[in-house]
Amino acid sequence: MNRSWDSLETFENFLDSGGIVEPVDEMPTEYRQAVFDFIEMHANSELMGGLTERDWIPRAPGLRHKMSVIAKTQDEIGHAHLLYMVAADLQIKTRQEMMRDLFAGKSKFHNVFHYRAKTWGDQVAIAFLVDAAALVSQQAVFKNCSYGPYKRILKRIIAEEGFHLRFGEESVLRIAEGTQIQRSMFQSSINDWWWPALQLFGPDSKPNDLLLRWHIKSERNEVLRDRWIQKFVPLLQGYGFTIPDPDLRWNKEENRWEIGPIDWEPLKRTLAMGGPDSARRISEASESWEKSSWVREALEKVAT
Amino acid sequence: MTSNNSTSIQDIHTAINTVNDPEYPGISIVDLGLLENIEINTAYEVLVELIPTFSGCPALGVIAQDIEEVVRGVPGVKKVDVQWLNTPVWTVDRITAKAKEDLAENFTVAVQINERVECPRCKSMTDKKSHFGPSRCRSIHLCRNCREVIEVLRD
Repeated sequence: MNRSWDSLETFENFLDSGGIVEPVDEMPTEYRQAVFDFIEMHANSELMGGLTERDWIPRAPGLRHKMSVIAKTQDEIGHAHLLYMVAADLQIKTRQEMMRDLFAGKSKFHNVFHYRAKTWGDQVAIAFLVDAAALVSQQAVFKNCSYGPYKRILKRIIAEEGFHLRFGEESVLRIAEGTQIQRSMFQSSINDWWWPALQLFGPDSKPNDLLLRWHIKSERNEVLRDRWIQKFVPLLQGYGFTIPDPDLRWNKEENRWEIGPIDWEPLKRTLAMGGPDSARRISEASESWEKSSWVREALEKVAT
Repeated sequence: MTSNNSTSIQDIHTAINTVNDPEYPGISIVDLGLLENIEINTAYEVLVELIPTFSGCPALGVIAQDIEEVVRGVPGVKKVDVQWLNTPVWTVDRITAKAKEDLAENFTVAVQINERVECPRCKSMTDKKSHFGPSRCRSIHLCRNCREVIEVLRD
């Protein structure tokens, strides 16, 4: 059944009443574009995240961690694959065009993948803080997402990311119970990754945010960010680590943690591909795509 | 194996049945066909034998840990040993009808029984787009009718 709507208003009423849009529907152009942009960025982030993960396969401390890192790499690349298929189906850009734009530095991906993971501590901080931040936002999108195929894929992605988080928690526990050298390595990773992870949620949502209005997202950025803060401040402090925020304080009246002002300049720089590791990341991704072209060509030949 | 103990194989089976696949919350590893054998001796020591979907599956450690935990919680059990077997090899026929239904309904995941894979949503034909997905036991299909992107569990 191909549904169509005679005006944006009737379409918005449909969304407000909990309607779910399917790929065969004749959705308004603006909505199609907004959904596409959102999914493309998610797909790019999964791909860039998977490549970051891959860097740590040869360096993981021990066989068990190596297995986990390999599996996580496959998960992330697999998620990117699913998401690129859903995005391409919206017929705004082909998969090749999405790849071309990503490697040309024209497409967005999560700010955290514009930084370099220099130590195993950084990798664990990503698995713990960043994966959790991504999970918090994905859960919120899933809860009330109006685009059917994306909602259904998110359900599976969330289940798998939840499994990754177990790995992150286990790794943090190991480091927290480890030697002084391990603990100070992880403290320095927290110092480096705390703010980028927190900035991943973005600045406070604007009142006229179309993603919220069209139920592509279901909760405001600041609400999600705060949910993450309330969870991770006590967790990290419980393990005996320090949060790199001199203004952090416990608000007794409201029973919640309050953080200091957020500097949004670093986030803006990453969005303009000017993050500390943006250029290297993009060229590595592009190189890896080139190097694997023979696999795609071979698979296409087998298929035809 | 004995049935004279107050702790029975059935009690242990019931406990293991509560362990879900870490990537499919709500779907029991028993229904996915991972449980091969349970033994209990007179000293109330339990051996649980499992078979992996794929030998390098990253979830093996977590599944074994979860099983150990629930079986240790069964009254009377003194010790638990969880082993992954190399044979028999896991195939999709080991997945129960109930799990197939739950996978289709809750996760839009199909199970590859033969060449023809139906869309879990609209029951139309699908085309295979790639042999591997987010894990080695899954390929990716696209529905010809509703254009759903589908993960397909396969051997």
